Amino acid sequence: KQKTRVLSTFTWEVTPVLSDEKLCEVELLEAFAAPIINKKQTSCLIKQLTCLYPLNNLPHIKRVRNCRDKSDHPLEIIICLLQDIPNREVSLNDLFPEGKANGLGEPFRVRIPAYQPLTRSQFEVASQHWPTTFRENKQVTDALQGHLFNTEEKAKMQTFMEKAIEAATVGKKMGMEPVGAVIVNPATDEVVAVGHDCRNGPNPLLHAVMVCIDLVAFSQGGGAFNHNKYHNCCFKAVESFPGEHAINIGKPLLPSNDHSLRGNIVNGLPYICTGYDLYVSREPCVMCAMALVHSRIRRVFYATSFPDGALGTKYKIHTKKDLNHHYDVFKGLMKDECQFLLS
Amino acid sequence: MFCLFYLQAKEALENGEVPVGCLMVYRNEILGQGRNEVNETKNATRHAEMVAIDQVLKWCHEKGRDRKEVFEHTVLYVTVEPCIMCAAALRLLNIPLVVYGCQNERFGGCGSVLNISQDDLQHTGTPFQCLGGYRAEEAVELLKTFYKAENPNAPKSKARKKQ
Ligand SMILES: [Zn+2]
Ligand SMILES: [Zn+2]
Repeated sequence: KQKTRVLSTFTWEVTPVLSDEKLCEVELLEAFAAPIINKKQTSCLIKQLTCLYPLNNLPHIKRVRNCRDKSDHPLEIIICLLQDIPNREVSLNDLFPEGKANGLGEPFRVRIPAYQPLTRSQFEVASQHWPTTFRENKQVTDALQGHLFNTEEKAKMQTFMEKAIEAATVGKKMGMEPVGAVIVNPATDEVVAVGHDCRNGPNPLLHAVMVCIDLVAFSQGGGAFNHNKYHNCCFKAVESFPGEHAINIGKPLLPSNDHSLRGNIVNGLPYICTGYDLYVSREPCVMCAMALVHSRIRRVFYATSFPDGALGTKYKIHTKKDLNHHYDVFKGLMKDECQFLLS
Repeated sequence: MFCLFYLQAKEALENGEVPVGCLMVYRNEILGQGRNEVNETKNATRHAEMVAIDQVLKWCHEKGRDRKEVFEHTVLYVTVEPCIMCAAALRLLNIPLVVYGCQNERFGGCGSVLNISQDDLQHTGTPFQCLGGYRAEEAVELLKTFYKAENPNAPKSKARKKQ
């Protein structure tokens, strides 16, 4: 029986770097609700209230909730938002000027979630206030709980980061910033490019990520710089694919409106960094993070943070809605080893 | 002399590249002129600015000049507001001034999408000044011509296919 070599324990943990809206606290709005005394009136009340006080900007709010613990009235209904009425202390008569609120009890104030929850933990908090709809992204839940990658995947991730560290060490000896990077094709687990920082050479903009992006270009028959001087900056030429298959690269954490999930092979060759993963020892700067947007990378794993970092520290360029491509980012992979590299 | 960077942009368009052109001028001397070379190099970071920067670096190397001093006295003229990547690169090189044509609504790093030129970034060179609107209509026209040629319904990778 063939058994894959797997490490059972890891000294590191990866955390997804999610958008601020996924990580923020649940925002609440003040509202009026009332018990439904006569259950038979429920559908009639919903119709009436939808007409009188439509909750147009809150499609995620469930108008009626169950209250199992209160035996005298099993249901409660949202009447309106506090901001919908001028006078904030009100009775049923004020709320229903035409006086048709059959089956409702005395109104009371509640706080309801202002937005649809985006993560399970937001959903759990929101639900304590008032029921909402929630479309769970299982990948995000798993990522936040640290269950997204299995042992085998983690072992692979560690191998790739080790390669990046190895390159960084070589670069450091040559007087460069101790940063290394590796670009991998996750469909085949092949390393496409390995590079280290070269900023103290002829071109100060050749950060490790920029080096790797150019090496990927070389692997596809392009490229702009001469990397021959640096033996630890190298690439593996890709072979033409026979057909126009799209590489199966799984579902991304962030919904992207671009075409990174299909058609990533052009003229029998992969198109720039589409579908590829980057492993880099330190959080990319703004230039490098945006270069990865232009290059349509699929995922980025980095170890340590950088004070001007653009993938979590200063900015989250990978989640910026205005941009035409987004990628998933995870931090913390082999953090201690890379921290050591920088010291 | 400053019409030259619009000629660069036109050349980019003729070569199937996003029509952006630029000039780098050091004490009234043109040291670099670039246009987008993304498709030719298969490297999505080969924007006009990056191409021109390489020429300035080469010049410094050949003339034995201190590149820090040169970039600190170099003005970039570019048809479109630099993108976020290029804005960061310009900061890293301490370029003091950028004169551009039209705004870059998709990727602009000098105020349109992010304000990399002015933000407080202690480890990313120095902030720079921007002057926008220099022959902006011409720059917009060029971009429109380019994006009109791209079929909006086709997957991007197909639309970018070079024939
Ligand atoms: Zn960088
Ligand atoms: Zn740019």
